[in-house]
Amino acid sequence: MSVIAPKFRLAYFLKSIIDNIFWIIILVTLIAIPAIQIVLFYMELPVIEGELLTAFLAFTWLFHPDMQIPLIKSLIHSDLFRIAAFPGFGFAALIAAGTIFVERKMLAKLQLRVGPFYCGKIEGLLQLAADGLKLISKEIIIPAKADKPLFWVAPILFVGTAAAFVSLIPVAPGGWVVADLDVGLIAVFAVIGFFPIITILSAWSANSKYPFIGGIRALHQMVSFEIPLILSLLGVVILTGTLNLNEIVESQANFPWIIFMPIGAIVFFTAMLAELERIPFDLPEAESEIVAGWLTEFSGMMYGLVQLGSYVKLFAFAALFVTIFLGGWTGPVIWPPLDEQIITEGLPISDFKGDPLLTVSTPGLPLFDEDPNEWILQKHGLLEYTSGQLFFSGVIWFVLKTIAVIFFILLPRGVFPRIRIDMLLHIGWYKLIGLAFVNIFIALGLLYAGVLGPEGIF
Amino acid sequence: MTEQLTPEKTENMPPGLQLEKVDDRIMTLNVGPQHPGSGHMRLIIKIDGDYIVDADPDPGYVHRGEEKMAEVRNYILNIPHLERPVIHDSCNILYPYVLGVEDLVGIEVPERAKYIRVIAAELNRCVYTQYWLAIYGIFLGHSTMFMWPAGDRELLIDLLEKMTGARVTHSYFVPGGVRNDVPPNFEEVCLRQVNYFEKRIKEYADIFYDNPILKARTDDAGVLSASDAIRLGTTGSVLRASGIDFDVRIKEPYDVYDELDVHTNVLKEGDSYARSKVPWLDMLESCNIIRQALEKMPKSGSIRTKLKPNPKGGNDEVYRRVESGRGSAGMHIISKSQPQPYRLKISPGSFRNLIALPYLLKGEKLGNMPAVYWSLNYWPVEADR
Amino acid sequence: MGTATGIIKALNSGAKHLAVKRFTLRYPEQKLKFVGDGYQFDPSTGVGIAGYKGRHMLFHDKCTGCQLCSIACEGVAEAIGMVKVPDTWKINKKAIMPQIDYGKCVFCGLCVDACPFYALYMSNDYELSSFTKEGLIYTPAQLQVKPQVQQDSELIIDKRGARHG
Repeated sequence: MSVIAPKFRLAYFLKSIIDNIFWIIILVTLIAIPAIQIVLFYMELPVIEGELLTAFLAFTWLFHPDMQIPLIKSLIHSDLFRIAAFPGFGFAALIAAGTIFVERKMLAKLQLRVGPFYCGKIEGLLQLAADGLKLISKEIIIPAKADKPLFWVAPILFVGTAAAFVSLIPVAPGGWVVADLDVGLIAVFAVIGFFPIITILSAWSANSKYPFIGGIRALHQMVSFEIPLILSLLGVVILTGTLNLNEIVESQANFPWIIFMPIGAIVFFTAMLAELERIPFDLPEAESEIVAGWLTEFSGMMYGLVQLGSYVKLFAFAALFVTIFLGGWTGPVIWPPLDEQIITEGLPISDFKGDPLLTVSTPGLPLFDEDPNEWILQKHGLLEYTSGQLFFSGVIWFVLKTIAVIFFILLPRGVFPRIRIDMLLHIGWYKLIGLAFVNIFIALGLLYAGVLGPEGIF
Repeated sequence: MTEQLTPEKTENMPPGLQLEKVDDRIMTLNVGPQHPGSGHMRLIIKIDGDYIVDADPDPGYVHRGEEKMAEVRNYILNIPHLERPVIHDSCNILYPYVLGVEDLVGIEVPERAKYIRVIAAELNRCVYTQYWLAIYGIFLGHSTMFMWPAGDRELLIDLLEKMTGARVTHSYFVPGGVRNDVPPNFEEVCLRQVNYFEKRIKEYADIFYDNPILKARTDDAGVLSASDAIRLGTTGSVLRASGIDFDVRIKEPYDVYDELDVHTNVLKEGDSYARSKVPWLDMLESCNIIRQALEKMPKSGSIRTKLKPNPKGGNDEVYRRVESGRGSAGMHIISKSQPQPYRLKISPGSFRNLIALPYLLKGEKLGNMPAVYWSLNYWPVEADR
Repeated sequence: MGTATGIIKALNSGAKHLAVKRFTLRYPEQKLKFVGDGYQFDPSTGVGIAGYKGRHMLFHDKCTGCQLCSIACEGVAEAIGMVKVPDTWKINKKAIMPQIDYGKCVFCGLCVDACPFYALYMSNDYELSSFTKEGLIYTPAQLQVKPQVQQDSELIIDKRGARHG
């Protein structure tokens, strides 16, 4: 609104254009092209239709109508896509960005005010992009006596660990998880146990009083809430008999575990709020007492990375809650319906009067099914739903349930004040561990009574 | 030969020159003026683990020399100057000055002006208490409790702006009455907004005063017993939260407070929770006072007695005090038959309450520091003058 | 159990507010309406007329150059200085009029109280920013211009809460 703009001069304008072109050329030559070459050198090339897919062949096939769909299919099932885009970091970052925006708007509505509303024409949608640009353009200030290698590496480690956590969680049926481990749950605990180490390292290496106090408080908080976190999940492990997250979700095909383990769910939820440093447990960043806790000395993009890692961690924890207690991706198949005519005859295109013009034939459809002939089986009644339909509907249910859990994580921020450190330790070591043990006894009781479990009635 | 200074030798020197033995367990924290939890004041805290061993408040960052500056201006020109110590509660800090000058010069105030003054003073008290409550919420980490009072305060600031023409620092009271009459149609607008305001502040009970986390945090934090409160000389809501029933509006009524029905709210515990609840109850009481004053106000009449040019008092001194948002605020004026006052001393409520801070913080946990500090209703600008 | 009911009541109270309308005034699109035309003072009765204390307005045909406004402001903010004006008025033999420096003015209105000739009023205009400090000094010719304000929002209180509309 009140931008102080200098007067327009043609020379300045041309100079800025030439400046931008110069920097783009330098960055592309020195960084982007070598990176692309390294990726192409080390990536494993798939074999499609009997031919090895080199980069040259891929570009040729991009414009060949018969070969486009198998190319895209092979790309979707490759490892790189899984890590970077769909159940991996890209998906998590997108939901994390959405969470930040929804949090600001929802808190604003709770507090009877408007959140961001200026960036982006509709209700401030581009606010996050503006914040990201602002953080990139700020100078990164390192304290003089800080431990420089540790201080630089701490935010990157944080984001890396959060991404590792995201990679363990299954999103859709058919093995859509980046790392399918048989001891998936123990790997999750191992990754969660790494977070306090990163916090205390980054707090200690800053060499200042306020991060010191904040780091000690963060360490106390995270370590003392890890035990209830692990114990509350043991009930579900006892009842399903497996540690593999895929199998835990599949065992909830008829009912979610939250019906039988409500206490475990509440204990896990509270411990999750403490691990995420959300209000009411946000002591390590308590603003009014210890300026910003262990984040005090971070500035510029380091702060941006820590925030990104924090919200990716929030998504990962919510996804874990959904996987274990709410049933992951299970739910009735709601979308999409199958259109047989597009597969057999092709896509009809008509002009604006309604007369059919031409029919585009797209061989190689359907895109997400594992076996291209599944739709034939479904038409004859042998297969109830194709794997593509199961995939889409599974993703939709998963996202809906995660959004519901995230809403309940964001709500206490507007309603509760901050808790004190001695109250927090009292809750973590006495009350929550007691409730978690009660939960385990209930699980054992249900197991030995023959009601649930691998040999039970259900 | 210079002799070696040791802690024993420097014990009797003034505090800035003393030496202290360095103890490895005790860390000195500087909760300074550039801190989200301090306001314009510095607190030097020595902590041993999580417990505060010593607290040393260091006010004086906002000292402007207001009392000296008041000596060169005459009685009317002092009005925009002397309302600046507390900009939100400006009517209440100006009130004792105006009453004092009326006593010195000998001016009668018309009835309608007295009622308007009472309404403006009560509105100002609510506006200040909402701001204080907002910052109390944010010190405890409750961001909703910052936004709701700051938003509901706008309802009353809107009324004050219709009445006086400015949102804060109104320059509205003059010796002899008020500067301008209320606009037409003011009574019903005021009644409607004050009723809605009262409904809004009753909603704070669910989310703040009955919140179990808040209660667990501020119960038994910084307990001030009744005898200590009297001995240390605290005033205002701090005193009423420790069980002592003292309110200047009832003990020494001024303007029309003796015709209105004023109750005080007294709580007995004396901890931070009680000190944060008494101003909220006082706000509910203020809404009652405003409604009574609107009913009893004479519908028409003059609102200002005309003064002679350059009013001056005799060789006299006067001390008047009122109940402001923070406690009893007083003003001592000495005049020597000049248009300017010879000496003016402001006695604000905040500075009286600051004495209790190091006494209460010793032995407290560090987590309780913001709760105790701000619950003493301390406004740094007024204390430094 | 007490803590559990307290927590649920707090969450409930918070969630209830998701249905109340927002209170914010969206400033550049909505501007608040003021009562009346600005603060004015009637020297014959000695009482002011309620209004918003914004930018001053000087009536050139009534100002006599008596300097009372400048003398009043010397004790408060020293924002009014008298300058020579090129036009000639019969009542203004010295041809001087006040010029107001809004970098120093505190908008107290004592200058309006001091003027005995109905020449200085205050108006509803409050948007006075400028890029330079010299731009804040308003000459008598600038003070003569009637401000064009478009203020039409006000506080509405109804069943769904209070809002600015």
